Amino acid sequence: MANPTSRNIRLGIFVLAGTVFLIVLLYMIGAKRSLFSDTFRISAQFYNVNGLMQGNNVRFSGINVGIVESVEINTDSTVNVVMLIEDKAKIYIKKNALASIGTDGLMGNKLVNINSMKDGSVAHIEDGDILKTLKPIETDEMLRTLSTTNDNIKVITGDLKNITQKFNKRNSLWSLLQDTIVADNLKEAIVNIKITGARTAIITGDLQEVAKSFKSGKGLMASLLTDTTMAGKLQHTIVKLENASDKIAYVSGDLSGITAKIKDGKGTIGMLITDSLFVKDLKSTMKNLNSGVAGFDDNMEGLKHSFLLKKYFRKQAKLKAKKPN
Amino acid sequence: MFYNKALDSFLEEAGDISRFTAKFFREFLKPRYEFSEFLRQCFYIGYKSFGLVAVTAFIMGLVITIQSRPTLVEFGAEAWLPKMVSISLIREIAPVITALICAGKIGSGIGAELGSMRVTEQIDAMEVSGTNPFKFLVVTRVTACITMVPILAVLAIAVSLYGAYLGCNIHGVVSWKLFWNQVFETNTFSDVVPAVTKTFFFGLDIGIIGCFKGYFSKKGTEGVGRSANSAVVISSLLIFVLDLVAVQIADLLGFT
Repeated sequence: MANPTSRNIRLGIFVLAGTVFLIVLLYMIGAKRSLFSDTFRISAQFYNVNGLMQGNNVRFSGINVGIVESVEINTDSTVNVVMLIEDKAKIYIKKNALASIGTDGLMGNKLVNINSMKDGSVAHIEDGDILKTLKPIETDEMLRTLSTTNDNIKVITGDLKNITQKFNKRNSLWSLLQDTIVADNLKEAIVNIKITGARTAIITGDLQEVAKSFKSGKGLMASLLTDTTMAGKLQHTIVKLENASDKIAYVSGDLSGITAKIKDGKGTIGMLITDSLFVKDLKSTMKNLNSGVAGFDDNMEGLKHSFLLKKYFRKQAKLKAKKPN
Repeated sequence: MFYNKALDSFLEEAGDISRFTAKFFREFLKPRYEFSEFLRQCFYIGYKSFGLVAVTAFIMGLVITIQSRPTLVEFGAEAWLPKMVSISLIREIAPVITALICAGKIGSGIGAELGSMRVTEQIDAMEVSGTNPFKFLVVTRVTACITMVPILAVLAIAVSLYGAYLGCNIHGVVSWKLFWNQVFETNTFSDVVPAVTKTFFFGLDIGIIGCFKGYFSKKGTEGVGRSANSAVVISSLLIFVLDLVAVQIADLLGFT
């Protein structure tokens, strides 16, 4: 058997091992419960805490930052939840952060979720602050809503079923939906309508301009339409025209008388126009005249060469030769 | 005194044990401590029992983990295996297994040792020689039990958790860090403190019953065997009774 000293040493190691493990276990658990780190207190008032208990976790953006210190009924509609938060989370949580009751997993423990709002200009949270809360989602309520939603979906799917059945029965609708030519035509028609529209726009623009110029009194039509003195003048002109036409009628009456006389062969012109015999006489007279003129020409040549007139003709030739200089 | 002999003897024994316990506390508080004897007993009760306790605890941790897995897999909550196993090990299995092993090993040892001393009249001789046999034999052993059983239980928790860690990694993969993180995350002081506290009472139970049975052993060699046997049986039974009471008290105090 070993001596008492070595026995005692081994006993000491054994006892120390046990004690150390116990202390480590307790310390680790305590560290997880944030009992040994510096903390501060904040609170939040909920309408319903859904079974939140003392010691439940508090999470900020999903990270454990503390525990629930106490849950107390405040008034008939509010429950005050005091939370112990680690100091190191202080710089991240803002005063306008929102607290809500959540569940760890589907069936896990309840916990408080603190989520930061987008507005980052708010000051950091301090000891004793009260957070705003979000009403927790209750499973019962959720299921109630779901059941009404289900009813609605039932009705809607029934209707949809009817509609699709009708669609399937009617081939014409299908063919219409599937016909590419119709679609092309429609497309073309739409393009044409577009062009027409553009043109119409231009035309109306022009019309507008015309109307404007009408109003401003430019152009003949405008003056016709707008100028009152012009109207007076026009009237006067028409009256004159009337008189002129009366006179013309009168003159034309005379003219018709003259022409009638001409037709009847009265007077020289009338005879000239109507008497064919006189025309023949006139023709023979003209022939005679021609031959008479030819004879006269011969006579004139003879005259040129006669001594009486020779001198005169020579003078005439000399003058002709000088003229070009 | 009452209706039958069995009940009478049971009540008589209960009374005797109560008086024996009261005497232990009286003697314990009196000065003159047998410190070296106390250390010797601690060595035998604590150190020498550790191997047995460690093996048992390791196997329990491993087995409980393997057995729990199928049910959790059915729920799709395989990730909860370390949490669930660690809770049951820390709260119940490791302390009770430790106490039962100690009751078997230590209780029977004390019962047999003191019984044979009584039978061979060594205790009477001590009294004659002026040594207080109760203080020297009973107080040292019971105190050693009270101090050593909790330490054994804590180490049993450690070893069984290691077994559970290995058990988790047989089929799935749970890293060392994640396992311990989950263990410390899930368990609270209200899990650990009542579990460790009740082991003090388990130690007291083992020591008192063993000593009582041995100290008042009768009828020669046969009595020694009987006292060793009944020490184990009664202390084991008492461990469960104490466990039941401890759970109720912990529940009342809010350690849930």
